[in-house]
Amino acid sequence: MKARGMEELELRISLFLRAGVVIAGVLLLAGWLMSTRLGGHPLQGLETYQPHDLGLILREAWSQGRVGTLLCYGGLFALISLPIVRVLLTAVLFLRQKDLILSGVAFFVLACLALSFFLGAVH
Amino acid sequence: MDALILLATSVVAGFIGSLLGLGGGIILIPVLTLFFHVNIRYAIAASLISIIATSSGAAAGFLRDRLTNLRLAVLLETGTVTGAIAGFLFSRFVNASVLFLLFGGFLLFSALMMLRRREEHHGQRDHPWSARLKLAGVYPEKNQPVAYAVENVPLGLFAMFGAGVLSALLGIGSGIFKVLAMDGAMKLPMKVSSATSNFMIGVTASASAGAYLLQGDVRPEIAAPVAVGIIAGSWVGARAMVHLPALWIRRIFVVVLAIVSVQMIMKGLS
Repeated sequence: MKARGMEELELRISLFLRAGVVIAGVLLLAGWLMSTRLGGHPLQGLETYQPHDLGLILREAWSQGRVGTLLCYGGLFALISLPIVRVLLTAVLFLRQKDLILSGVAFFVLACLALSFFLGAVH
Repeated sequence: MDALILLATSVVAGFIGSLLGLGGGIILIPVLTLFFHVNIRYAIAASLISIIATSSGAAAGFLRDRLTNLRLAVLLETGTVTGAIAGFLFSRFVNASVLFLLFGGFLLFSALMMLRRREEHHGQRDHPWSARLKLAGVYPEKNQPVAYAVENVPLGLFAMFGAGVLSALLGIGSGIFKVLAMDGAMKLPMKVSSATSNFMIGVTASASAGAYLLQGDVRPEIAAPVAVGIIAGSWVGARAMVHLPALWIRRIFVVVLAIVSVQMIMKGLS
């Protein structure tokens, strides 16, 4: 029973990861094509590091109707969320199998990911 | 024109990375910094995004083939993710010159590791932690199930912490270090350690990539073409793998890595 649950979960995670990569890739491609002049030099000005406020970037893009930029960030968030959802699915499966130690370990990994994002947001 | 060159370079990076079992970061960071003159911090953040894309795509295949040890991966992720947090915090105190030197050293180490012949292991004595958490597993070899034990779990966890620090600091997947720890310390079979490492790389990278994204360091003008190119390149590479002389590509790539590592070190020293 446990082994079958594990196999089913592995298959589900596998399908989820494949679909997620395709969706994120399509969002990024569409956003990039809408926001970039292909013959231009979009990397100019990135020689020097300058801290940016993500909230400000997104608010500006929203108010100026820059759909391409918003789609790009949508794709980036989708891509980063793939491993996180995968850890969550694993934690739930272990919990269902009453494997409390490994389930706790998986939730600890999730908590660490949340802490990492929090640190990024506050810096 | 930069945009199209960057897209083409990322496709090539994804293609080569897929053929040689490497993440794209090892190719992309030198190209972004030495050729496009992008600041290394933006290059690192973009590289982490591309690593999530390749790892997620490849992990799906490995899971289907029943090579990934999911239970062990979850445990070892505690080491890689806490290491990634430490690396992210540490990165703010490390200047660009040191990052170039570290990356150059990492490239040289990677070139040496690509020359080594990996030895097949089959763990015999299960570590008490492994026995308690039921980490030992079975994998298919020539259609036969082969059982293996997991040795020295604490050393493996400690090595994963180091791999996590380097991943966040240098924008790499740290697959080389993860495989080294699982092969050498934990005595896992090669196929299992490669698949389990690949499965963990995405989580390790997402810990620091998420932090860099929320900090505003992931620039879409770099990250979008890089991720799209890497996804496309690795997809083609996985299908072309059986038709190409991977050994010769590996040998040529080792020489290229060695040259680029010297350039990165020289840039760090200058």
